[in-house]
Amino acid sequence: MRISRSSSAVVSAWLIAACLSGCVVSRPEPTLPPGALPPGETPPGETPPGETPPGSAQPPGPGEAQPPSERPPAQGPRQFRLGPAATALVTQAHAQAGSGEFGQAAVTLERALRIEPDNPLLWIELGRVRLGEGNAAQADAMGRKAVALATGDPSAQAAGWRLIADSFRARGRDPEAAEAEQRAGALSPH
Amino acid sequence: MALYVLYLDLLVTHQFEGRRWTLPAQVYAAPLELYAGLALSPAELEEELQRLGYRRTTPLDRPGTYRVQGERIDVALRPVRFADETRTATLLSVVTGPKGLESLRDGAGQEVPVLRLEPLLIGSIFPIHGEDRIVVTPQEVPALLPAALKAVEDRKFDSHHGVDPVAMLRALWVNVRARQIEQGGSTLTQQLVRSYFLSTRQTFTRKIREAIMAMALDAHFTKADLMNAYINEIFLGQDGDRAIHGFGLASQFYFGKPLAELDLSEVALLVAVVRGPSYYDPRRHAERSRARRDLVLKVMAEQGIVKAEDATAAARRPLGVTSRPAGAYYPAYLDFVRRTLRRDYHDQDLTEAGLKIYTSLDPRAQEQAEHALERELARLDRQHKRPEPLEGALVVTTPQSGDVIAIVGGRNVGYDGFDRALDAHRSMGSLVKPFIYLTALESGRYNAATVVQDAPIDLKLANGRHWQPENFTHEVYGPVPVVRALAESLNLATVGVGLDVGLPKVADTLQRFGLPQPPLQVPAMLLGAVEVTPLEAAQLFNGLASGGFHNPLRAVRAVISADGKPLKAFPLEVSQVASPEAVYQLDRMLVEVMERGTGRGARAVLPAGLTVAGKSGTSSEFRDSWFAGFSGSHLAVVWVGYDSDEPTGFTGSAGALPVWAHIMAGLNTSSWEAPMPEGLAEMHIEFPTGLRVAPGCSDDMVAVVVPGDASVPAKPGCSFPDNGNPVTTILNRAEQWLRGLAH
Repeated sequence: MRISRSSSAVVSAWLIAACLSGCVVSRPEPTLPPGALPPGETPPGETPPGETPPGSAQPPGPGEAQPPSERPPAQGPRQFRLGPAATALVTQAHAQAGSGEFGQAAVTLERALRIEPDNPLLWIELGRVRLGEGNAAQADAMGRKAVALATGDPSAQAAGWRLIADSFRARGRDPEAAEAEQRAGALSPH
Repeated sequence: MALYVLYLDLLVTHQFEGRRWTLPAQVYAAPLELYAGLALSPAELEEELQRLGYRRTTPLDRPGTYRVQGERIDVALRPVRFADETRTATLLSVVTGPKGLESLRDGAGQEVPVLRLEPLLIGSIFPIHGEDRIVVTPQEVPALLPAALKAVEDRKFDSHHGVDPVAMLRALWVNVRARQIEQGGSTLTQQLVRSYFLSTRQTFTRKIREAIMAMALDAHFTKADLMNAYINEIFLGQDGDRAIHGFGLASQFYFGKPLAELDLSEVALLVAVVRGPSYYDPRRHAERSRARRDLVLKVMAEQGIVKAEDATAAARRPLGVTSRPAGAYYPAYLDFVRRTLRRDYHDQDLTEAGLKIYTSLDPRAQEQAEHALERELARLDRQHKRPEPLEGALVVTTPQSGDVIAIVGGRNVGYDGFDRALDAHRSMGSLVKPFIYLTALESGRYNAATVVQDAPIDLKLANGRHWQPENFTHEVYGPVPVVRALAESLNLATVGVGLDVGLPKVADTLQRFGLPQPPLQVPAMLLGAVEVTPLEAAQLFNGLASGGFHNPLRAVRAVISADGKPLKAFPLEVSQVASPEAVYQLDRMLVEVMERGTGRGARAVLPAGLTVAGKSGTSSEFRDSWFAGFSGSHLAVVWVGYDSDEPTGFTGSAGALPVWAHIMAGLNTSSWEAPMPEGLAEMHIEFPTGLRVAPGCSDDMVAVVVPGDASVPAKPGCSFPDNGNPVTTILNRAEQWLRGLAH
């Protein structure tokens, strides 16, 4: 098959026009939040999955919204990480929890949560501290919060389910613990 | 006579003891956390430092100063105590860039990943009396101050027994000649007594009473104690309704900084003001005030308290007062703090001296909110002649944490009176609708595309009367999809849905989300005949903004005792109160309220590209105008109306929405971008009819999220290759065309 140069120009022009007409919908323009596509789809021009910048909940600069190409996809596979500020606070919280100061550790983690409120890893950290304090009910709730926030990140969701499992075990509810453990395993083997 | 003296003695010592041993609780705003990546401009950082009373100097000579060198700001931080940490004075270097803070380093050049500035003192409250003071201990008082007070007001303070007879006689002579009370002649102790008992009319009998009580105080307490009491008690200014008592508060009020940081000329000014805070008001009577200040300096030099050349140099300095009364004063927020403490503390705990209370107040958000309310209400006032002033109230939270970051109780923001945010119980009107639709979504029988009937309703009530609600436009819209019924706030359609899912279930939803009292289960409940305060409305919507997880809204984070012992923590707590799938579907519909429904007026004010969700609320006969809405990081609920409950004539979109939009626009906020839970699917439907469409089939489409297994009837004539994804469709077509070329 040979496509002449003029034909390929026509094809390119048609493709561009078609893409544009496909991407721009007619008035009134419905605003599609980034979670607009079915799972797995990456629209042209967006960051490919797996390249989520650290600290997934950074706010845009004063008075401006992030351009779409810089926004981490809220849909599709992603991996949550902690930004440097949150990492430093989590490290401090671990040290505090390690010496039995669960109250202090919780306060430190709440600081981290104010910086990255949508990061499931932080909710799991706080849930673990609650478990350490003997508050299994809150550990469970925070595990569920983490699972809800971690859509698209199986290993974070699995960590959430493991926290839920531990909170059931702490309350002597072994069958439910086993079930939660299973859900974790299905998402991420380790 | 002896009994009377004894009586006065007991009276005044009781007052003194009462004030002395009840140090007020000090209330702090949330500290600003600094870290690399924080979107804060250099100007904003400077504003924060100045709010905390930091002075821009070169070099950094002591804690409380900062300097700017190009893109770097160096700060000499003051020592600070948090609920969970004590930090000594330290140096911090912040490098700023176009997107915000780029790096933080300490004095040794080490990278600092995160550091919080000291929290702003926003009030000192005697939790029981509710007064406002910044009590200073002797350590915090510059040595110059007592010396200056004695030199100017009471030379023989250290030696007399409460009264200075010579001074009194001299004053008596002058006053008799003038036939009225002119000259003071009062000792500091007498002034202190006068301050306790607020005697404005100076009769001779009063003066005798004062003299006796002053002598009683002098007999019971040391000079040092009396001086300290005086420094904390004396009236030094008026800020609207708020009296400024004590040099600690006065220092904040006039200069915006702590008493310990005042220089000679500033101390002299405060001493000058003692004789008449109105008459010598440095803001209103600058010349007079300055003349007296310089006189004070002269006296101080004459008495040998300061060197003559220092006094002369100080007299050359400008007054140095801030143009607006400085020092934060947020009565509505303090009110909430007081109530939280009273609810959780027994009264005897509250009298413990010197509690430190750490709150979630964000001073930037608070000021933004106050300006927005004042400005928009003034604008609304100008539109029509009004029988009474419009009022408003609002609450701002960060939904994930449940922190209340701002409260405004009325348009007169400095007024410490009726706090509408906490106490105005008003009909929630259409604010109730999201909870009706959430109940419907949870039932499994409705989704965003479900077609419901906006049709006339005629219900016979239990009392025999007929209830015939109407839409605000008085029109009837027929079959409409749920997303449209919510976006356009259609009463008839909503009542239909509500009656179908049942009043008990709707009531249950409201209570799950934090409605404190069970609502009266009458059909009018579906149109919001439920009374809530703005704070309660914020609690309800907070659960929607946080994906169905309820956190009790809190203003107080922690309380510690005067010596740093943690007394009470208010830890972050969540509980799941609704299915994340249902809440997500609802939240997406609330986004459409903002895109094309009753909230679309906000678009003009908000930054381009910011995704928000919300709901307008208008109660029957337009008595209450509400707007509740959230972004990715903030929730704000605004109420506008008349205190008398008279109809205002405008809807939630016309009244409360502009206030809400201006607040959101001024906060450094992020788009709502919650992830879509598994098991849901996004599709396009026709906004008027609810039929499923693909791009090109309709001029009027809206994106909705429905359960993955929902079947939505398609618009006839529309084709849906693949799963209807427009880009895949186009690319598939292009590929087919290319293949066609090849053959």
